[in-house]
Amino acid sequence: MRKPISRRNFFRIAGGAALAAAGMSVVPGFVGKSWLSPAQSVGAQEAAPDLAFAATDGWIGLPASPAMPPFHPDNMAPAPFTTYVFGFRNVTGLDQTQVMAQKMRAQHSAPMFWVNQETTMRLQLTNLGLAIRPDLVDAHTLHWHGFRHVIPFFDGEPMGSVSVPIERNFTYVFRPHDPGTYMYHCHVEDIEHVHMGMTGMVIVRPTQNGNTSLYPSGRYAYNDGDGSTGYDREFGLLLSEVWNEAHWDDSHIQLPQWTEYRVDFGLINGRTWPDTIAPNAPFAPSPTNPDAFTFAVARTAEGDLVAPPGAPHLQYQPLSSLIACNAGERVLLRFANLGFTEAAMTATGIKLQVIGRDATLLRGRTGADTSYLTSTVTFNAGESADVIFTAPAHRGVDPYDTYLLYNRASTHGNGGQMTEIRVYPAGALPPQTLPNT
Amino acid sequence: MTMFKFKWMRWGLALGLVLTLLGANSATHSQAVIAQSTPTDGIVCTTSANATFTLRTESGYVGMSDDNTVFMWGFSIAGQPFQHPSPVLCVNQGDTVTIIVQNTLAEDISLVFPGQENVLANGAPSTPQFSTGGALTSLAPVAAANGGAMTYSFVATRAGTFIYQSGANPDRQVRMGLFGALIVRPTRSTGNPDTRYVYDAGDVVYRAGKEFMVLLSEVDPYLNQAVERGEPFDMSLYKPRYWLINGRGFPDSIAPNYAAWLPTQPYGALARINPYDATANPYPALVRYLNVGTIEFPFHPHGNHGRIVGRDGFPLIDGGGADLSFDKFSVNVGPGQTWDATFDWRDNESYSESNPVPITIPNLQNMAFGMFFSGSPYLGTSGTKPVGDTAMTQCGEYYIIAHNHALFQLDSWGVPMTGPATFTRVDPPLPNNCPQ
Repeated sequence: MRKPISRRNFFRIAGGAALAAAGMSVVPGFVGKSWLSPAQSVGAQEAAPDLAFAATDGWIGLPASPAMPPFHPDNMAPAPFTTYVFGFRNVTGLDQTQVMAQKMRAQHSAPMFWVNQETTMRLQLTNLGLAIRPDLVDAHTLHWHGFRHVIPFFDGEPMGSVSVPIERNFTYVFRPHDPGTYMYHCHVEDIEHVHMGMTGMVIVRPTQNGNTSLYPSGRYAYNDGDGSTGYDREFGLLLSEVWNEAHWDDSHIQLPQWTEYRVDFGLINGRTWPDTIAPNAPFAPSPTNPDAFTFAVARTAEGDLVAPPGAPHLQYQPLSSLIACNAGERVLLRFANLGFTEAAMTATGIKLQVIGRDATLLRGRTGADTSYLTSTVTFNAGESADVIFTAPAHRGVDPYDTYLLYNRASTHGNGGQMTEIRVYPAGALPPQTLPNT
Repeated sequence: MTMFKFKWMRWGLALGLVLTLLGANSATHSQAVIAQSTPTDGIVCTTSANATFTLRTESGYVGMSDDNTVFMWGFSIAGQPFQHPSPVLCVNQGDTVTIIVQNTLAEDISLVFPGQENVLANGAPSTPQFSTGGALTSLAPVAAANGGAMTYSFVATRAGTFIYQSGANPDRQVRMGLFGALIVRPTRSTGNPDTRYVYDAGDVVYRAGKEFMVLLSEVDPYLNQAVERGEPFDMSLYKPRYWLINGRGFPDSIAPNYAAWLPTQPYGALARINPYDATANPYPALVRYLNVGTIEFPFHPHGNHGRIVGRDGFPLIDGGGADLSFDKFSVNVGPGQTWDATFDWRDNESYSESNPVPITIPNLQNMAFGMFFSGSPYLGTSGTKPVGDTAMTQCGEYYIIAHNHALFQLDSWGVPMTGPATFTRVDPPLPNNCPQ
């Protein structure tokens, strides 16, 4: 508790379950203690989780300039990092020692994951606590934003549900019925934990996938029945924001006044321009680290992330936003916004067709096509938008033509929400196997 | 500091009492206006047999979620005490709506009705007002300061959700609370006593009685303080510190309509429904969203998409009658807009004690419990919670949050996780043992 308790503050804290978590924080020692003490065993044999995520704190690297003393760069940040974050990590396949070693190694954005419609997915969340803020004994949750008809138990909203105290875990079970682009975030102390970086994208793939008669790739955004959402390549672009003061406050045991909120950095997939076009972290899929539900990023023996080549400051910002495609291909851009302000993503020289919003195909109930063409797609905090463009003919002498995709609502230039669309001659790039590659 | 606040609250209560007594003395000036039955949740309509309402300006204090109180203006049915927001006026399509404004404030006010056509003011077309020098003074003929009156009238030709608000210095007066909701109901009947149409066209129905309001607004307390003190306020410094739903911040928002401890903020925002059932409960509920703030508010109901069926009183159908409604999990209502959305909640997985969630539920001490969690994952079941834990549930019902996702606005001037948030309360299927 960082403030005197007023009547409403008490209500808030109790609702956020922080009191219960505080009570547990005095329980010492993780090692040797069973993670789960099943009290209410409801199934004879519980299936292993498809994904194991850990929630903790960490450091990321944003442009050191322009500096904003004392808030940016954070004087506590070890080189080459600048900014304190909370976040999630994919710890699937790591042993308990490795998992515990990921405390203070959060990434931003949180790992993008994907599920096939009508497939049951089990996601185990472990709360590793906050290394820089041992006083802050917040629980964590995973809230799948936009999941229809969820029961509170698996919704992660802490007042109406349960949350995960430090050094405990909980398994969420999802069986999505509606394809589209979603997002997820921690819902404990929602303003702070979302802003601090516990935000990621979720994709639900339609049952129509695999049908190559409607579109040759057999890949679709929705169950459109006519191939109108077929695509060759897809890129997930999760927008988030950094208010330097709020991040500095959290590392310095301060509390920001949220009504003073401002955007200092706009991020796509956790990076600012031009880091947005730096490569992905290396992938290393294996039987214990599969890429069936998320990127199998390479990990060290300790389980730590491996920086993208040539970009050590991006060790904890593994996902690239570079959009590379061949002329004539249909490219799906999945936008989601977990910043706090409206975004206006503009593509220079390329028409964008908005085919879905908020995990809903833009089509009336009687079949009317309500998709639309634009050059700027707007979407507010907590909104998603699915956009398809057809890559124009390759026209340059360079190996690829460059088009910019940027947030017109952002005034921040360098350090803003901008990335590149690179169009290669037809056939130059091999077929895409994973999003954002 | 706390004593100071309480002092002002007492002043506000005393003022309200005095105004109530004054209003009672002047009741002969007002029409017989009926506030319909006042359910604990859902829209509270103020109706009038002849769609005639006398709205008098009142001043008072409203409570914020940080325990601050803020001075406000508002309209009340003449003779009634100050309330915030102003009354929800409900009329029927085709009614000639007459609104008599009585101005007790020390500045001119007027009313505009976005979405209504051919509005009259004292019988003449309501048009913008200009000074002799040509400066715009009001968007409509005014009720003059200190006792003036003006009668506005129009035929409510379209069914839907609308706003009425001040047209004189709206930068200041709307923010001071001179706004309210106007609901126009279609006259056609569905032929089914369980359902109502939303509009006069299209086929969208909702379950009778399951109608809720999400009226989103914002407050810069320094503006209100300056008005209270009669001091100037530099509008270039306007910066909201509170964001409200139906005039309340969370958790006041989930208190019942007319909660005794919120004497000037009568409208709750809790939405209480039962799960969808193809035979027992096939019809959705309706939410009427209104934004009287200055920016778009992206409102996010958890666990559900709203089906957006119309905006600004226009049903989402095309000229040929095709249904253009769409589902959204973010209801991003722009300033001055109204959106109507139907919604339900479906127990898709039918988890129960006999069809348990496919996980091993951790021990009590290995979870943190919310006070609106029953202790059981299952609808209609109350489970064990840790000793000393706060339990606000009654009958194993679900509480599913809905809140503004511009999250810095989910704050009351420094008290996070308040502001514009409410719950959808999903009761077990009927019959159940929930207190009604």
